[in-house]
Amino acid sequence: MFSLNNQLELRRVTISSLITCVYLPSIVTVISYKGLLYSVGNASSFYILVLIFIAELLKSFYFKSVNDLQSKKSKPSKNKAGDVLKSFVFLLCVMFSFFVGIILFGAPVLDCHEETLMLSALLTLLTVFPLILHTGVETSMQLLFGVRQFGKDTIIEMLVNNALFTVCGAWLGAVVIPLDWNTPWQVWPIPCHLGAIGGYLISNVLNVLKVTLMSAAIKYPALNLLVSALNKLQISK
Amino acid sequence: MKEKWNFVLYLIWFSYLILSAVLMFGHGFLLTRKTLNDVTECLSLNDINCEGRDRGNSTLKDFCTEDEKIRRIIAMPGAPLLCAPTKSRVIFLLVDALRYDFTEYDQSIDKPLAYQNRLPIMHQTIERWPDRTRLFRFMADPPTTTLQRVKALVTGSLPTFIDVSSNFAAMELQEDNIIDQVTKGGGQVVLLGDDTWSRLIPTRWLRSHALYSFHTWDLDTVDTEVDSKIYDELQKKDWDLLIAHYLGVDHAGHRYGPNHPEMTRKLNETNERLKKVINMIPDDVLLFVVGDHGMTENGDHGGESKAERTAALFAYSPSGFGGEGPDIALGREIQQTDLAPTMSGALGKPPPAPSLGNLLLPVLPKMTVSHTLLHLVNNLKQISQYMVRYGEESQQIALEKLAGLINETRDQIDKAAAVKTEDDLRIYVTNVRLLVDNIRNVFREVWVEFDSLSMLRALLLLLLSIFFNWLITEGLPMERLTLVFASSFVPTGLIAIALCIAMCYTAFYFKILEDLEHAIILSTGLVSGGMACVLIIMHWDGITQRWYEGRSVFYERFSRSALVASAAVLTSNSYIIEEGAGLSFLALSVMALMAWNVGTLKSLALWVASGAVLAVSRSYRGCREEQGDCWTTGSGTATGQASRAALVMALGSTAAVVAIARRAIGWRGHGVVLAGLFACAHWALGWGSLGSPSRSRLLGRGAWLVLGLMFVLLWKKEIHGAFLPLTVCCLLFYVANALVLGAAYAPTAALALLSGFLALNLVSILKSEGASKFSLSTRCSSSVACLWALLASYHFYGTGHHATLGHVRWAPAFHAGDPNYLAIGPPITAALVSLELFGMPLMFGAAVPLLALWGRNGASNVGPRTQLAAVFSLCLKFSLCFAIRVFACALSATIHCRHLMIWGVFTPKLLFESGACAAALLGTVIGATLTVWHVPTQQRNS
Repeated sequence: MFSLNNQLELRRVTISSLITCVYLPSIVTVISYKGLLYSVGNASSFYILVLIFIAELLKSFYFKSVNDLQSKKSKPSKNKAGDVLKSFVFLLCVMFSFFVGIILFGAPVLDCHEETLMLSALLTLLTVFPLILHTGVETSMQLLFGVRQFGKDTIIEMLVNNALFTVCGAWLGAVVIPLDWNTPWQVWPIPCHLGAIGGYLISNVLNVLKVTLMSAAIKYPALNLLVSALNKLQISK
Repeated sequence: MKEKWNFVLYLIWFSYLILSAVLMFGHGFLLTRKTLNDVTECLSLNDINCEGRDRGNSTLKDFCTEDEKIRRIIAMPGAPLLCAPTKSRVIFLLVDALRYDFTEYDQSIDKPLAYQNRLPIMHQTIERWPDRTRLFRFMADPPTTTLQRVKALVTGSLPTFIDVSSNFAAMELQEDNIIDQVTKGGGQVVLLGDDTWSRLIPTRWLRSHALYSFHTWDLDTVDTEVDSKIYDELQKKDWDLLIAHYLGVDHAGHRYGPNHPEMTRKLNETNERLKKVINMIPDDVLLFVVGDHGMTENGDHGGESKAERTAALFAYSPSGFGGEGPDIALGREIQQTDLAPTMSGALGKPPPAPSLGNLLLPVLPKMTVSHTLLHLVNNLKQISQYMVRYGEESQQIALEKLAGLINETRDQIDKAAAVKTEDDLRIYVTNVRLLVDNIRNVFREVWVEFDSLSMLRALLLLLLSIFFNWLITEGLPMERLTLVFASSFVPTGLIAIALCIAMCYTAFYFKILEDLEHAIILSTGLVSGGMACVLIIMHWDGITQRWYEGRSVFYERFSRSALVASAAVLTSNSYIIEEGAGLSFLALSVMALMAWNVGTLKSLALWVASGAVLAVSRSYRGCREEQGDCWTTGSGTATGQASRAALVMALGSTAAVVAIARRAIGWRGHGVVLAGLFACAHWALGWGSLGSPSRSRLLGRGAWLVLGLMFVLLWKKEIHGAFLPLTVCCLLFYVANALVLGAAYAPTAALALLSGFLALNLVSILKSEGASKFSLSTRCSSSVACLWALLASYHFYGTGHHATLGHVRWAPAFHAGDPNYLAIGPPITAALVSLELFGMPLMFGAAVPLLALWGRNGASNVGPRTQLAAVFSLCLKFSLCFAIRVFACALSATIHCRHLMIWGVFTPKLLFESGACAAALLGTVIGATLTVWHVPTQQRNS
């Protein structure tokens, strides 16, 4: 997936993935030490979403800043407020469609709306939000509806891959709910919540791993096997 | 095109292989027993005169003693049973899963395990009053689950999983039992504890405090509740039999295993309890403390290992017991069947009719020779009556064997008159015990033991046919498929099978073989496997070529794994319980990936619509006991009468389906509309108190008549191919399903039809590689068949069913009148009930050819040979999906045959899955036959 030609992009991918690998586990660790891990579905744990929101925002600023340094001509942002509003509406739409999708997949229809909403908010935050931050509303809409292919842009490819891993994680999380272990975390939507976070995390870890391996493979060609094995894990093909 | 029938013949052949293997598995696994509702009667001593005859209405005074009367009765071979003149009261304390070694006491153990030496009270009582106390090993028969054990303890019989009786669904015990015997004679029974008892034997209790027993993780609720009641009950005098069922030990075993401090705590509690009860017990009362089964080292039970079978029986009576010598030795092995006749003897009642137990003299009060003889003879008479009746009702046991046993029993009864002294009695008791043991063993052979050989053989046959047919569908290239079926492969195979059957029958005729059915199934299965193997070896080059070149899309691989996953999770009880949700989750995931693959707004809309349909059908899903929440709120119980809203929904959905579908199917639409109208009128007239049941039934019959007629008309040749007849066939199945589901569930049939329609549309717009024309590899890929099988399995749950015997609804059999008045009543009842249960797999099976034919780029445009090959490969794949699911069920039943929930979860699932498989196979054969019948004749173009 990644090419070694563009060192700068590679570096950005690695650093942003590394940041994710650090901040997400720390959030999860802190809340689990606070004993709040099993309340992730409630609206009371909204601050987690805020934290993730801020972290993603900071990451995108990092992307932008490096971008500006590299290509001096920064786009003149004509109506920033309009952009923000548009992306907000777009995010709401995405969240609503996640909400409907989750209910169709088997979440309770008439109750637990709060939990389902929180899960869809998390999914939106982890999947579409970074894309919007990076490319803007219109491009991400085009990407979503398949008008534009994400061809060679390494970062977009990485972001799409992260998004797919997140959704898969949430999907897999639902598997443990029916089991009769009677544990406190087998309640809707905790496994899906944690699954989504886990999927996002794994995807980022894989990114870091791959970049490291690729740069190591220059010295040790035997590692190319591992790289190709990792490339097989790519869902976004 | 003569060879076109070969396709159908092959499908029938495959169905036969699968179903026969399932049948063979069932014979090995499902033990059946016929229940008889006979009741033992006895005459009281006052009702007979000195000649031993019924006194009738004469009130003459007797001039003989009680003893003489008894002697006289014993001397008369044909005399009726005589009630025992003495009786005591009984406390029956059932400590669930009290294994024998829990009750042992050995001071020399330094560091006792968590369950050792925890019941010292038993040991102390034995030391203090050896003649008042007995402690025996109490051997249970498999299945060692509580329900079956309670049945065994009260009836004295050997219950199997399926006790075939007149009323199959109800849990209520249909046979004669101790409780019935006591209450019939005017006695009173009090129940404390587990609600298994009150479900088995409802409404016979003087007072009952029954508690829900399914929370296996709750160690204390039931026990404390029983404790709060039992000591008060002990003070009262109004009961004859007091039953207290403690669950704590069993639940501690399930949750933690026997070797855990919690087990120590529960056993200590039991010890205190026993101490208290023994101190309080009045003089005329016998105390039996009984474990219904043991547990393995993990704390499970249900199987037949020694640890599970060895329970304990502790008996105490303040006035002392009879018996002597080796009979009263500590830890002697006695059978659980012996308790029912013994307890009824102690209560002064005759043994329950189905009992096959011995009288346990060591735990009965001391008696005179004549009284002991009376008990023994009563027992023998009851057993011989039972054998005569069982021989009349069932052919499970060879007639000569049964006749021999009956004669021996009668001989023993005759010999009783000659017994005068204690020494004679001792010999007589030993002879009777040997005889009864012998009889019980004969019955046990047919009732209790799994036939593991035929189970394994059936699994092997299933595996063989699934594997080779999978190779044929997935490996054999399409163009070769038509060649294979044009060749003599199928006729040869059928001839080989016919030869096999003929040979087996000849061998059976000359008495070389004993089990004809088994031999036929085994030999035909092996021969078919061999033929398929030869076919595959001959075409191995083509198969490897196709596998080498072929590379499937992601959604294809995913849907295959989704199907395998849906089969694999059948080994887990929690997924079986929640299978409805799981299947809809998997089906929707597969459809989501397909929609993603197409990537248009239309596909998205189709996916959302199917999701919405499945979500709506969720509200109709049933609820089973293990699901907990919904069960306790009472939504699981089926309501007999549909509500007004349900009626409106039923009428509306049927009318809508019929009205919309009618336009698309030409003149046949009128028939479907007529059938729908009849069905609607049937519900409307039968609804509420204002309706007229008789007219409603008449209309129901009218609907069936129209349906039958339309089904016959399906075979009128259609020039435009099989598409129209297949659609009509599905609609007819829809109306039939709606009819049997009744007004309350009729909308679910419409939902199923709608979801099938949406899936068909989604499948028809799947991207095919290259040419825009019909693409065999896309439209007939296994992903489509897997999706279809998942949907078909889901709609079993979507129509409000569950895989438990309690969820079988019997009302459909009677909706158009009582079929029992007809000569062919039973088959009609069976057909209607199974249509109600498995109508959805049947409908989806019949619709399988549509998967290939549907849409503008469907197979209807291509040549008949390709069309047939496409339809055939889809049909075979769909059947394979169901075969795989059945195989997984059978395998999990084999693996879990010792599991706690084997009889509650896994076996019912196996039964229902086999039913669904049979229905799906039948539907596929119907659909394939329709396609072959209507396929246009060969046009020679190009």
